[in-house]
Amino acid sequence: MMIDRLNIWQKIGLYIATFIFLLFILMPFIEMFRVSLRPMSHLMTADFTWWSEDFSWQAYRDMWVTVPLLGRYIFNSVFIALCVTVATMVVVIPGAYAYARLEFPFKSLSLGGFLAVNMFTGAVLLIPLYRVLRQLSLLNTYWAMIIPGVAFLIPTGIWLLRSYLEKIPRELEEAAYVDGASRLYTLRRVVIPLAVPGMIVVSTSVFIGAYAQQFLFAITFNNVRELQPLPAGLFEFIGYQDTTWNEMMAAALTGVLPVLVFFLFLQKYLVAGLTAGAVKE
Amino acid sequence: MATLELSALTKSFGTAQVLHGIDLAVRDREFVVFVGPSGCGKSTLLRIIAGLEEASAGRILIDGVDVSQAAPVDRGISMVFQSYALYPHLTVFENIAFPLRVARLPEAEVRQKVGRAAEILQLNDKLQLKPGQLSGGQRQRVAIGRSIVRNPKVFLFDEPLSNLDAALRGEMRVELSALQRDLDATMIFVTHDQIEAMTMAHRIVVLNKGRIEQFGTPMELYHHPATRFVATFIGQPNMNLLPATVVGTDKDGLTVDIAGGARMTLPVDFGTAQKGDAVEVGIRPENLRLGKGLSMKLRVLERLGGTAISYGATQTGQKICAALAGDSPVREGEDIGLTFAPQDAHVFDNAGRVMRRLAAPALAA
Repeated sequence: MMIDRLNIWQKIGLYIATFIFLLFILMPFIEMFRVSLRPMSHLMTADFTWWSEDFSWQAYRDMWVTVPLLGRYIFNSVFIALCVTVATMVVVIPGAYAYARLEFPFKSLSLGGFLAVNMFTGAVLLIPLYRVLRQLSLLNTYWAMIIPGVAFLIPTGIWLLRSYLEKIPRELEEAAYVDGASRLYTLRRVVIPLAVPGMIVVSTSVFIGAYAQQFLFAITFNNVRELQPLPAGLFEFIGYQDTTWNEMMAAALTGVLPVLVFFLFLQKYLVAGLTAGAVKE
Repeated sequence: MATLELSALTKSFGTAQVLHGIDLAVRDREFVVFVGPSGCGKSTLLRIIAGLEEASAGRILIDGVDVSQAAPVDRGISMVFQSYALYPHLTVFENIAFPLRVARLPEAEVRQKVGRAAEILQLNDKLQLKPGQLSGGQRQRVAIGRSIVRNPKVFLFDEPLSNLDAALRGEMRVELSALQRDLDATMIFVTHDQIEAMTMAHRIVVLNKGRIEQFGTPMELYHHPATRFVATFIGQPNMNLLPATVVGTDKDGLTVDIAGGARMTLPVDFGTAQKGDAVEVGIRPENLRLGKGLSMKLRVLERLGGTAISYGATQTGQKICAALAGDSPVREGEDIGLTFAPQDAHVFDNAGRVMRRLAAPALAA
């Protein structure tokens, strides 16, 4: 399209703006990476330099010794986030479908209620949640970190997926109904396959949410070392004498890495899925 | 292979009543077309027959059995939707097989039935494709395939040709008529296109504002429209309506003064009409020919070869359309004279009801 063509100065401006934007977002990661490469002795003293001779991967080797359970923490993090995502989606898919297609009393009121729940941060509800979990004897188990995570992520999930499901032509479901299919059969064979791109978007956002929020639940509801996720486990790099910042940064980056790779693959699929599943009317 | 009866069917959405007491009896193996302008309730009526909407009151009988409360699949109907409603993620085979899969038929039976449907619809080499890879006409056929595969009693079509281009639409009309004959099926077809209705239907239901205006064969509707609405809706180009005043009645019929034109005696059953009554004289464009009587200023002339469609208006501003012989010696901008045979005229009273024509062709059998 002619209207999309940019002259050279507009292009340069665009790239500069993009660069500044990316730098702003990625700066913490760049700084983490720099810190992880530097030996402890230079960390506090040296002036800011982009590169110096004594950079090394030593911290990436030492961190496994300083915190022997680091591998377990990384696993826990991914495991908890995955469990939260699966459990959330199991509830969100039929829930969102019901909100997209069925008529029932208090429909909009309850949808509004979901939004209202989202306004409370987990922190406000920590004490009541603690009491509930203690009552159910779930403290110090994986459940203590999974259940509250699911509860906080369902509302957003339903809101997101509902709007996607509403875009699937109603006639497809009517055709299935005329042919004798039940609601659940239609959901399974017609709606869910067509909603795959939307479900990927929602589960991605749920996974990120689960990954981010687990720190709070972990330090409050769990004190079993073996069950701790990475964000809580990183505390072990803070010793009585000093904090091994470079190893902590290295561990944080290593913990994020598998998730990052996973999403890079997912992104490809996401774009492919969005075009392949497009519903022609 | 079934009869369909509707009795006193009404439907309201909130306070708006869209169907006012529909009574209808469709015979076994009949091809019935519901036709009417948008918003006349024809699609709602079809959806009620299908079981996608519930009627506010009234009964639906298929083969004499009351199915008003039954689920669509138990009614023995199948439906083809306007947008085809094909499942884009399934192959043509699985699309056609869908109703059979729902019914959990054994694989061998599914293969055999889908194979037969594909054969009838010439889709054999397309079974492994996805709907997105098919042309409009092929998608249409897949949708029909899905509806015939479970041998329903009544087929319902909701404007299935409206998404096709003109040439393909003509082709599909012929195919559907042939299919109806081959399957020996009872079919209900909804359209807003009167040509589709005229060409395919055994009988046509003309709907207007939620009421049945007339139910009859295409030629019945053409020669003996019951109301002004049916008269102007059926036939292409539309019937001309000329205001007129009754000047006398006798055994030959009704004598009228046509506005801006001649005095004529028309052979109709005038009933209680009296001298001085205002009526409307309807005359189809194809029944007008050059001659003395009505004079018209010719504005636009469309020469189609066989016919020349002439659009113009009388001195009183009354618009007239005439389908003249293809090589008629007329030119745009000219004043031309038109005439018609008295027995071709339709007369409508004030309420839009027709006065029965006495000299018109007998009703088609």
